Amino acid sequence: MDHILTLLIFFPALAGMLGFIVDKENIQAYGITVAAIEFILSLVVWMLFDVNNGGFQFVEFIPLIPNYGINYYVGVDGISLFILILSTFITFVGLISLNVKKNLKNMIISLLFLEMTMVGVFVALDAIVFYVFWELSLVPMLYIIGYWGSEKRIYAAIKFFLYTFFGSLIMLVGMLFLAYLYYLATGTISFSIPDWHRLILPYEYQFWLFLAFFLGMAIKVPMFPFHTWLPYAHGQAPTIGSVILAAVLLKMGTYGFVRFSLPIFPDASVALISPIAFLAIIMVIYTAMVAYAQEDLKQVIAYSSISHMGVIVLGTFAMNIEGIAGSIFLMISHGIVSGALFMLVGNIYDRRHTKLLKEFGGLAQVMPKYALLFGIMLMASVGLPLTIGFVGEFLSLMGIYKISSAYAFLGGLSIVLGAAYMLRAYKLTFFGPITNEKNKNLPDLNWKELTSLASLALVVIWLGVNPNPILKPINKSVENMLDLMEKKAITQKAKEVFSHNRVEMEAR
Amino acid sequence: MEPIKVSLESLNLTTLLPMLIAVAGGLTILIIDLIKENLHKSLYVMLSILFLLLDLGALIGLDINTRGFFDVMLIDGIAVISQIIIIVASMLFIPLALTSKRFHEFSLPEFFALFLFMVAGFQFMVASDNLILIFVGLETASLSLYPLIAFHNRDKSFEAAIKYFTMGAVAAGFFAFGSALLYGLTGSVEIYKIAEVLTERGFEPIIVVLTAVAFMIAALGFKLSMVPFHTWTPDVYEGASSALAGYMSVVPKLAGFVVAMRMFEFLIHSGIVWVRDILYLAVVITMTFANIVALVQHDVKRMLAYSSISHAGFVMAAIMIGTTQSNSGLFLYWILFLFTNLGAFTMLWISRHKSNLWHDRFDHPYEKFSGLVQIMPIAATSMAVFMLSLAGIPPFSLFWGKLYIMGAAVNSGYIMLALIMAINSAISVYYYLKLIVYMFMKDPISDKQTIYFKNSSLSLRTIVGISVVFTIFSSFFISPLLSYITEIVRLSGF
Repeated sequence: MDHILTLLIFFPALAGMLGFIVDKENIQAYGITVAAIEFILSLVVWMLFDVNNGGFQFVEFIPLIPNYGINYYVGVDGISLFILILSTFITFVGLISLNVKKNLKNMIISLLFLEMTMVGVFVALDAIVFYVFWELSLVPMLYIIGYWGSEKRIYAAIKFFLYTFFGSLIMLVGMLFLAYLYYLATGTISFSIPDWHRLILPYEYQFWLFLAFFLGMAIKVPMFPFHTWLPYAHGQAPTIGSVILAAVLLKMGTYGFVRFSLPIFPDASVALISPIAFLAIIMVIYTAMVAYAQEDLKQVIAYSSISHMGVIVLGTFAMNIEGIAGSIFLMISHGIVSGALFMLVGNIYDRRHTKLLKEFGGLAQVMPKYALLFGIMLMASVGLPLTIGFVGEFLSLMGIYKISSAYAFLGGLSIVLGAAYMLRAYKLTFFGPITNEKNKNLPDLNWKELTSLASLALVVIWLGVNPNPILKPINKSVENMLDLMEKKAITQKAKEVFSHNRVEMEAR
Repeated sequence: MEPIKVSLESLNLTTLLPMLIAVAGGLTILIIDLIKENLHKSLYVMLSILFLLLDLGALIGLDINTRGFFDVMLIDGIAVISQIIIIVASMLFIPLALTSKRFHEFSLPEFFALFLFMVAGFQFMVASDNLILIFVGLETASLSLYPLIAFHNRDKSFEAAIKYFTMGAVAAGFFAFGSALLYGLTGSVEIYKIAEVLTERGFEPIIVVLTAVAFMIAALGFKLSMVPFHTWTPDVYEGASSALAGYMSVVPKLAGFVVAMRMFEFLIHSGIVWVRDILYLAVVITMTFANIVALVQHDVKRMLAYSSISHAGFVMAAIMIGTTQSNSGLFLYWILFLFTNLGAFTMLWISRHKSNLWHDRFDHPYEKFSGLVQIMPIAATSMAVFMLSLAGIPPFSLFWGKLYIMGAAVNSGYIMLALIMAINSAISVYYYLKLIVYMFMKDPISDKQTIYFKNSSLSLRTIVGISVVFTIFSSFFISPLLSYITEIVRLSGF
């Protein structure tokens, strides 16, 4: 089982390549099988994962360009493990619910390649390997949005690509510079992330490098004001594209914050808490208000997902164990919930070929199962206790509360405003009399849709009631990371923030 | 007067052997034609490849860091590696003559003879630090290249050849002026002696030195298609056959880079800020301007022409940085670029059609490739791989070149330059994506396979296959390649 991560990364790509040979009629079954195997493999990683070890596990190291410090270096810890499982799970569920007629084969092969890049990003421990998968993930997504999307798909696909590509190139320069600083400090060049974690940088460098990395990550998240590509991408993408985009691809950005920005630049991160919190709060409130005003059901979910990403960023920059662990948990829960919501929108779109709220109304009478599942996901999205959404949101806000109660209050508006726009959308879609003739005879969910959504709903409730199996390993790794950050801190302000954590941890 | 005595051993004629083989090959082809006329082109192609192979063999046998032939030949590391690249590139491009359609130029044995003479010319250019021999090599190569373009036998080709000839003549003039000034200043035409004398004298009189350098930059600028000396490039590429255009985007430029490297190395490290600044400016303008112009092209071949200008600017930055790492980066980049561009231009060559079905002005408008993935998935995917590689998307080959040169820039303190390079890559991705968008996301205009694959043959497909494999799996052999290049560049003191 030494090479399980390599297997996990390249299995879907290999299967995708073989998929060219599989007959057109049976390609979906093939895709689902491959994704199921991949999902089971990721569960095996979880089973073999040592919960009491906060460091990297299943580490593999193969020199790639040793002269230049680039190695194939992968491993998982508590932080990446569950995002990894999330991506294999969402791909699996997404493939089951996939309902595309046009050129299905290319779609499934693209999805399998996309899965490779997602897994690769989350297990990479070498910055260049990380960057390779990070960039490569754009290509299948470009194709998925640009070919299967709706009317303005090409514009949306290119906008998505250019925005993210630009940000990540700046990040690449940052990586190169960081490797050079590592070379100056130690005499050997290295792109390995654990090596970088141990590097103590002067504040000046931290600041600029933080900004370079921030640009790359922030565009991906997407942070306000770099968020303008996302509504287009979601609006034009096919259902499966939106599902993967919202559930996994956006998480790459916030994962990048946790993996790179915080531990490598602890002082700059602490110094920049306020401006970032400011951006995150604008994100939370502004996009929630925009979501309220949307006419299109899918756009409501798209903007809501930006709003929730704001809470994740707030939690990450709380710089304490609750905040960071909570934000990681929220990444997972938001992945499941927003994925499910986009699937639900996709289901109704398949039936009516419209996503406009005014076309619906009273759907609860004709599609009770659909209304029920939508209701559960809605509750989870709003953050109702005993659903998965509550845990992460609560922990993130509790974390940021320790930094500033005002941030926590303003961030908490996410829940209030979230309830407002989601309930409005729910009311317009499901309640009231059926006004539109076309809605009278809509069929309820079929077994394929039901399987995928019910499995998601199950996870939503299971982890909402008992988040511990996931939270514990996350906590362990976050503790490790905070320890490291405390040791590395050089500015007074950062030392204070981290020693505060220390006191609390020991008091417990 | 004493008779001049020269011992044959001190001449070290083996340093000349590789070029002589190429020239002999050209002559052999001409002689064969005298004996028996109307031979099939495949014979000439294979003969050319064989002679190039012999050429390569003779080259690899040479000791590194030797001089020969009255010390005008200089076989140092970069001379060897650039000759290897030139010969391998020629061996890969010459089979493109084996198209399934008949083209006028390939039935002429002169085409292949001139091709081999040209290769010899480029070899002379890179294997010497004597300005006169460099000039001779440059002119041998250029004068062979002009007719090769014109052989394509269309109005546009004549225009292209004449344009290139005129521009080339001006560049040659500049080169001669620059060399003359340097000779006047130092009494020598050997670059290392020029460097010695100039350094001794503290680069005085500075104004004459700068004029000489300006002439040199202009002369090499023409060959390397640096902005503002780039105007011939898109027209010439358009007029030449795609195969030759691809060749021109790789080999002559490499020869130019090596000369520029020898020429500017001591000037950059001399402490004259002016030289470095003007090169910096030229690099940035070349990259950025070419990228912006490429955005608005309607024709894929013209787009690739501007893209190759931009890539040349990118690589010129490596010379400007002037460290061992950046100079090794240059060769790495160019090897990767060779395979990517080889593939891209071969795809254009395959899809060449005698009549203009899509557009009355352009041979390869973007519309031509609409929905290619639905008609020929493998061809479309290969082309997409080449475009992604040119755009610098990892893990395709050119990404590693870009990474390494940007890394070299960062390591020498050129953070701004690295950022400009990054932004330029971001701009360039748009026009490469445009072709991918046409191929993958639009519907085909015509669904007849034959329209696209008119020109395809086994050898062309093989070349594309080699390029694709090299482009996709480059990650695995970057490491040995890079250590070899670094070693050899360090040996020659760059």
